[in-house]
Amino acid sequence: MYQALDCIDAGTEYCPCYLAETGECIMCSQLQGRTFCDCTNWKGVCIYQEYVNNRKRIKEQRKSVVARIADKRYVSENVVLLKLTTGVTLARELKQPGAYVFIRCPEEPAFFDTPMSVMAADDQAGTVTAAVQIRGVKTKALQKAKEELLVRGPYWNGVLGLKYIKGLRNSRALLVTRGIGQAPALPVAKKLIAAGNKVEVVLDKGRGGVNFAEQHFLELGCEVVHRPVLQPTTLNVPEETLEYIRQKLLVEGTRLVYTGGSEKLHQGIGRLLASMGTAVFFACSNDARLCCGEGVCGSCHTRLPGGGRVKTCKSQLRPADIYGGR
Amino acid sequence: MAKVVVVGGGWAGCAAALTARKAGAEVAVLEKTDLLLGLGNVGGIMRNNGRFTAAEEIKLLGAPELIEITDQASRHKNVDFPGHRHASLYDVNLVEPMVRRKLESMGVVLKFETRAVDVKMDGPRIKGVLTADEEWVEADAFIETTGSTGPMGNCLRYGNGCSMCILRCPTYGPRVSISRRAGVEDLLGQRGDDSYGAMSGSCKLSKGSLAPEIVERLEKDGVVVLPVPGEDVNFEKLGYKVCQQYALREFAENVVLLDTGYVKLMTSYYPLEKLRKIKGLENARYADPYSGGKGNSIRYLSMAPRDNGLKVEGIENLLCAGEKSGLFVGHTEAIATGSLAGHNSARLLLGMPLLNLPRALAVGDIIAYANEMLGVPEGLKNRYTFSGGKYFERMLEQGLYTTDRQAIGERVEKIGLRGIFEVRLL
Repeated sequence: MYQALDCIDAGTEYCPCYLAETGECIMCSQLQGRTFCDCTNWKGVCIYQEYVNNRKRIKEQRKSVVARIADKRYVSENVVLLKLTTGVTLARELKQPGAYVFIRCPEEPAFFDTPMSVMAADDQAGTVTAAVQIRGVKTKALQKAKEELLVRGPYWNGVLGLKYIKGLRNSRALLVTRGIGQAPALPVAKKLIAAGNKVEVVLDKGRGGVNFAEQHFLELGCEVVHRPVLQPTTLNVPEETLEYIRQKLLVEGTRLVYTGGSEKLHQGIGRLLASMGTAVFFACSNDARLCCGEGVCGSCHTRLPGGGRVKTCKSQLRPADIYGGR
Repeated sequence: MAKVVVVGGGWAGCAAALTARKAGAEVAVLEKTDLLLGLGNVGGIMRNNGRFTAAEEIKLLGAPELIEITDQASRHKNVDFPGHRHASLYDVNLVEPMVRRKLESMGVVLKFETRAVDVKMDGPRIKGVLTADEEWVEADAFIETTGSTGPMGNCLRYGNGCSMCILRCPTYGPRVSISRRAGVEDLLGQRGDDSYGAMSGSCKLSKGSLAPEIVERLEKDGVVVLPVPGEDVNFEKLGYKVCQQYALREFAENVVLLDTGYVKLMTSYYPLEKLRKIKGLENARYADPYSGGKGNSIRYLSMAPRDNGLKVEGIENLLCAGEKSGLFVGHTEAIATGSLAGHNSARLLLGMPLLNLPRALAVGDIIAYANEMLGVPEGLKNRYTFSGGKYFERMLEQGLYTTDRQAIGERVEKIGLRGIFEVRLL
């Protein structure tokens, strides 16, 4: 069945991509092997036209570039903040909610590429900061890097429900984050604050054992509260925290909830939102197992409740469709 | 109150909204751009050949409003040009606000910049349509008048690419076939060489870019015919055109200009360099489509199968009109089908049999004939218009064509349908 989803890369300089070439475009019926338009998800650019005008070839795709490590700071035993000198262009492109890059040590093979959310991007200095939690083979290998890392980007689909974040103005938002999930929540908070919203952040230090982004949230003007957002063993959202959020929505008129952490957290909050039936916008971090970032390898695919498989590295899904809520 | 939602605010959608409203429904029109009338904003030709008969029939059936507006807004009446007699040319700069005010005064809700992109079904019924802004619009009956033009991918695959026409797909997003979203496959028009679609048949030039003596003649007579230099005459391009009524030898050997406020150039597209070789057009530039030197919009790629009451087959509460309902060309044809679909939406809601206009009327005959021809191999290559081509020939053969208002009145009277669209049903 033909399915139109919102592709994060549609209309960018990287579109059309590998998927157009193989008839797997996420958005365009003409580039899905059909011969007529059925353009339900218009992004302002006709991808088919871009493809034909580019002599039926894809655009040049992202490449790995060498970035100097400008700063490397352990904030706990297993969480390290890496500041990389990427140049102003890449930094500017990464200065938005949902931005991420792939990084690896230059001496490692390509499959060591590790997806890493951008916590902060400075387009004046040309630097990008990421928070790395050391957990497995790839992140442990990153520790070896002394001077340089390879960076591939920009990628933008690290947050689902981006249009709600970008669309909220002069309103109230609640960010619920845990552990390393604080890092991608910071650009979200920044965007929301810039649009005149009042932002409250519920922080849980999680497995990293440290609220490394708290100071930054406070500097932005967010209100920060500390609450456990997942129980250690069951990984359910504690009832008291759910009640706290419920009250925020009912009493304070919060219009958007963002969850940054694991799928369990999105599920817990999504169920709450769905059960309340309120018109609250729901956005969350994209916690799929990203591997290539290009919709090619398939490791990030997820199944939609209504059927059909989706490549979440490129598709802007509505969190509500996966986790409940609006 | 029973609610009818019209998807698409072109001539057909406006006509449907009016008659649905007159029949007593609460009516909303969803229009993707910021203007009603769609391609009607760059059209203008009324009452040529058999369209005169049809316009009078529509008035007598009880939907005079839009015909009256185009009459009032006419810059020229009773104009003859090659192959065509007694045309009226409405001023495309005046007509849209007039239609908008008329619809608003009748209580039709107009929702602009609202693009319908999907449907929610309840068995064989449409429950609601989804807009690009993620709003669900629910109704008891729907009328699809999204037309068949574009979007960009189709204009590229079957034409010369987006020529930046009045529909402005890049800005407002492309048309989406609602019937197709509801699970009914689209029917496709073909052209002579078996490929799909056809190209819109005229462009507009900016009046200020033409030589003063041409402008003067245009404003006086409504029409100017200028010979094309011999080396540039191209008969082949007549085959690509939507408007077979204008696919005549004279239209290849000459450029035919009509005064519709802009200067209507009766050809699909014309390379600017060649156009400027014609005396008086040395400084010509296009007003619509902006890239009229390269191409024009592609049409007829999205018809819904329907009965002669204009209900879409397989969906209980969806009607269609305009180009969505067949290989029709023109505003009069859109108003005729739209008026019937709007009226029938009220009948549908009441469970009444739908009105099929009798074939004693040109508007009834064309609706039935266009459907019949879908079953004939050549049928998908023809276009149906009161103003020329195969269907006007048929009107002449069947004795349907007349400019005698009294005779038309008697005809409508005789079949007992005078004022039928004025009847409040709900």
